[in-house]
Amino acid sequence: MKYFEDVQVGETMRFGRYEVTGEEIVEYARQFDPQPFHLDEEAGRQSLFGGLVASGWHTGAMFIRMICDGMIPDNATAGAKGFDDLRWIKPVRPGDVLSVESVVREKVEGRRPDLGTVKVESRISNQRGEVVMSLVSLVLYRRRPAAASRIGGQIDQPGRIRSEPGATTPGAG
Amino acid sequence: MKHWEDFEVGETTELGSHRITEAEILAFARQYDPQPFHTDPVAARASLYGGLIASGWHTCALMMRLSVEANRREQAAATGSPGLDSCRWLKPVRPDDVLTGRTEVLETWPSRSKPIGFVRRRVEMRNQHGEVVVAIVGITMYHRRPALEAAAS
Repeated sequence: MKYFEDVQVGETMRFGRYEVTGEEIVEYARQFDPQPFHLDEEAGRQSLFGGLVASGWHTGAMFIRMICDGMIPDNATAGAKGFDDLRWIKPVRPGDVLSVESVVREKVEGRRPDLGTVKVESRISNQRGEVVMSLVSLVLYRRRPAAASRIGGQIDQPGRIRSEPGATTPGAG
Repeated sequence: MKHWEDFEVGETTELGSHRITEAEILAFARQYDPQPFHTDPVAARASLYGGLIASGWHTCALMMRLSVEANRREQAAATGSPGLDSCRWLKPVRPDDVLTGRTEVLETWPSRSKPIGFVRRRVEMRNQHGEVVVAIVGITMYHRRPALEAAAS
């Protein structure tokens, strides 16, 4: 298990294989982003995109799924604070196969003794090696349990994060 | 039809509200973000978050849904987005929270190569306690007003 202390700036992780289907593009769009170019091939052809394309937020959802399957099992993450510089660079279309390359850019200690923030730049690419989306995630990592035990084993105590004055409350991730 | 020319810096739009259910949180998370604090109400109680919370990507998806509906009400000629400057998940979103969206236009500029323009805006979602749970600064593309229509108005 990789904790905050173990993360090295500059290290690269590669993972994921996500096969994008037209059915899933439309299913996501009906729920969350019902614009014509995400719902219908013909409407997509008449748009700027020239065909059915995935919602950018759907690509984000596919990205977090690849993170959950490929990265989180070996990493002591605890959600994320958010992200910066998200770019939807190329359309994602039915039949595309996506994968992720992530590079650790920075480690930030912060106020909490049990957590640190790691800035991770990720590029999501299609089967032709074209980057379709990129972003810099602010990932929360737990610190090594040895460090946690020195502060009284209060790691993961429910509610603690909300009662700590001035501490940033992470939302989700 | 609301085109790029019709957006003014400082204008705000109410996006409306959505009550998020536990079933929605679980369904989204099982498909896209299967971390225990999003998928398992029992495991979530022992987590950092003290209970089940929505995936941040789910909260953003709901924000998108409210934005699309607002665009429809305004008949805005939106045509996608090149991306976001920032997104912060500031507070956990829990079952039965009522999320209300609001946007403010920060900046507008035209495309040099296409008949579209860009609008940079801040979008916030607040919960029923008035707390901002997610804040983004993002960019949306809109079609420009056709030349004939522009001349006639």
